[in-house]
Amino acid sequence: MKKVIIGISAAVIWLVCVIAFAVAAGKSGGAQHQFTVLTVKEDAVKDYNTMPVFKQLAEETGIEVYWTYNTSTQYGNNTDPVGIKGIDAIYHSGFSNLKLYDYGRRGRIVAIDNYLSVMPNFKKILNERPDIKEALKSPDGHIYSLPRVEEMGLKTYPNMLYINKKWVKKLLDSGWKLPSGVNLTEADLVDGLDLYRSDFKAILQEFYDRDMDETIPDKNEIPLTFVSGNWQGNESDLIASFGVPENREHKTIVNGEITFTVEDEKWFKAVEELYDWNQKGLIRSTSFAQTDSEFLARGQDGRYGAFYWWEKDTVLAKENRDDYIIVLPLKDEDGNRFVGVSNELEVEKGACVILEACEDKEGLLSYFDKFFEPEYSAQLNYGSIKSGAFLSEKVDGKLIPNDDHGIQSADDFRMKNAPYGVVYLTKEVWENNVQMESRANLRLENLEKYVKPYTFEGATPIPNLNYTQDELITLNTYESSLSNNIASWFTGSITGKTPPSRDSWLNLLSTNRNSIDTVKKINQEAYDRYIAATQGN
Amino acid sequence: MKEMTAELEAGEVEEDLVEQAYEALDGKPNAPKPQTKWEKWKENFKRKGWILVFILPALIYVIIFCYAPMYGILVAFQDYMPGDQVLGSNTVWVGWQNFKTFFSNPNFWDYFVNTFLLCIFGFIVGFPLPIIVALLLNSLRSKKVKKGLQILYYAPHFISLVVLVGMLKLIFGSDGLLDQISIKLGGDVNGLKLFLSPEAFRPLFIFSGNWQDFGWSAIIYLAALSGVDPALHEAAKVDGASRFRRIFSVDLPAILPTIVMLMILSVGNLMSCGYEKVLLMQTSGNLETSEILSTYVYKFGLIGGQYGVGTAAGLFNSVINVALLVIANFTSKKLAKQSMW
Repeated sequence: MKKVIIGISAAVIWLVCVIAFAVAAGKSGGAQHQFTVLTVKEDAVKDYNTMPVFKQLAEETGIEVYWTYNTSTQYGNNTDPVGIKGIDAIYHSGFSNLKLYDYGRRGRIVAIDNYLSVMPNFKKILNERPDIKEALKSPDGHIYSLPRVEEMGLKTYPNMLYINKKWVKKLLDSGWKLPSGVNLTEADLVDGLDLYRSDFKAILQEFYDRDMDETIPDKNEIPLTFVSGNWQGNESDLIASFGVPENREHKTIVNGEITFTVEDEKWFKAVEELYDWNQKGLIRSTSFAQTDSEFLARGQDGRYGAFYWWEKDTVLAKENRDDYIIVLPLKDEDGNRFVGVSNELEVEKGACVILEACEDKEGLLSYFDKFFEPEYSAQLNYGSIKSGAFLSEKVDGKLIPNDDHGIQSADDFRMKNAPYGVVYLTKEVWENNVQMESRANLRLENLEKYVKPYTFEGATPIPNLNYTQDELITLNTYESSLSNNIASWFTGSITGKTPPSRDSWLNLLSTNRNSIDTVKKINQEAYDRYIAATQGN
Repeated sequence: MKEMTAELEAGEVEEDLVEQAYEALDGKPNAPKPQTKWEKWKENFKRKGWILVFILPALIYVIIFCYAPMYGILVAFQDYMPGDQVLGSNTVWVGWQNFKTFFSNPNFWDYFVNTFLLCIFGFIVGFPLPIIVALLLNSLRSKKVKKGLQILYYAPHFISLVVLVGMLKLIFGSDGLLDQISIKLGGDVNGLKLFLSPEAFRPLFIFSGNWQDFGWSAIIYLAALSGVDPALHEAAKVDGASRFRRIFSVDLPAILPTIVMLMILSVGNLMSCGYEKVLLMQTSGNLETSEILSTYVYKFGLIGGQYGVGTAAGLFNSVINVALLVIANFTSKKLAKQSMW
């Protein structure tokens, strides 16, 4: 008995010693670093400490930064990331306007505008671009975060319509004709297919009625699909074809005025029509309930007749990609085409915040200031030159992206090798310092040719507006309930059992009148201030 | 050994004698001044206080996990964000501002009614179901069948919420099993759209929840039923009572106290349905009925970073729950002569 007790005690003491040692070792883990920055990244992304771009930065600035990380789930579960001990900054903080201001006014994150003397690049940007300066300001006039600026002109138009040309050809081969009488031939089946909305609907109806692809088991073909309310590949352009500058927030600027598309009679007409499309099986209800990953998974076996998305390559398996062509924004009965503009912004706040706990703010900020230089921005956004993201030789002074990553796809390579975050890639940079990726270039060309020319007249995205604290809180209250109510009426009306009635639409507007007016008023005032500030400078 | 027993016995005898002496002294005219309640309690505590040690773990648990965090409700009256001191020199008190913001939400009443309806329907369906099941299971003749059914009924309890909602979506969701069948039978081309319709949300939520938990909840009633004296059943049998009659006249009255107690507790929880499952089942189509107070607290408070308003909403919900608990307790005290306090 005694022996057993002694044995157990020894084991327990031994275990305690091991744990204590491990804890002590963990605490003193590694050498002391000048700065420790927390970043938010997934495990699959390479360790920032091993990325050549950061080594290059350390060599050039003489500042050593140790990168530690949280996965997005870990980070999301932490209600107070600013309170994490032992870090000097948070990269990819993702803080909203309200959070930046809340932390800022409590003095827990640094007002960066106080340190512009050590940030020549950032200072220059703020001087040259009053719009960016205005966008970054918090209600108290301070700038609490470093921005991410990636101006490619892509985000404003997050949707393109693609159609399965193999299926359309099959229809034409069977002698089927467009109801409008337009003579569609096989030669027309190239990017930029020109269709009336009514013809498009008729095509979808055929897609629905016929067995378009024998390899797909019974009636699993999906005539038209999208991800409702998603930031890309949503139904906005379909609704815009009725003559409203729709985007997923139903909120845009038309000739300098904040406008809610839901108030437009044409928006209601679009909902009525979409109800009909849903009833006839042309748009499956799935489009209103699926997530983007579900949408992408379903697309792999080529069962989509037509779909809205950012580009086609991510949606389709390699062997199906050539079967799909771009359709121009659909024409209404008068031959007019409309697309709206999204409010997805190319200037993002919250890419990096510096904590008050940082002992040498000047040092760290002068390090981050380097991120705004074109060569660093490019490497941060796509991967280091040394890891093969760009060709080693510049052409005409420009960095040329390397498209050949062996068995890895360009997306995979970028995801693993690029830290993203604080970058400054403007039109000027694309012209002089960095060549765009061929995929981005292709999309830009397609947008220029097939989408942009049809932008609703006078429609512009709502820029990063600068609200007062009261405005922020009021908006927070009203916008969430308003978007809830619109979303539930919209989806309910399209997928409902009875056609949407005009009365229910008017009722939606009247019950939400106060919210609509309040949100409009606050945004309009903030926008007017924004215009005054950016044009005054 | 014998000595020890003798010692023990002697001790017990001594104690008995002391007790007898106390009793003898009580109330007698020439006895010393009667002890006050406090003195009696002290005396009692000295002798039997060690028994209290057994409730110590539960007490510590309740204090640490239930009472200590309660100071957090102060956040409802503050402009708070994590990292701030709840009670400190830099605490910003805002009075009722957070409540005002919460009540001024244009959808406040909708969320309130949604919460109430979801919970009350859940209660109406979910409360009697385990009682009925327990009574039926209890009156089964075959022990084997009874055990088998019981396991079958409570097994779903161990399915995690995420998996449960995944199953629901596979069966009732868009392109799910039910939709496929309905389309095959010539129904609507889009299937039944159950996950998109606001009307279907409550039934789906409530019935799936009860399917998962009725077996588990029945266990407590089964335990109560096992305490019913078999002699009562035999006597009833002799009197010619049918099986059905015995359920009503013997079993039900026996578990009535348990039913009443659990009902009071359930009513006290009436306004808290939990937000996890609701969030998992929420789609833009069913928001009209699926947005409840707790999902609002989660979205607005936790995701939106408005901790003060979120706490205010949570506190409001708790106050209603406490009020319901008090009402339920009072009513049962009056009507059934049963209560928690």
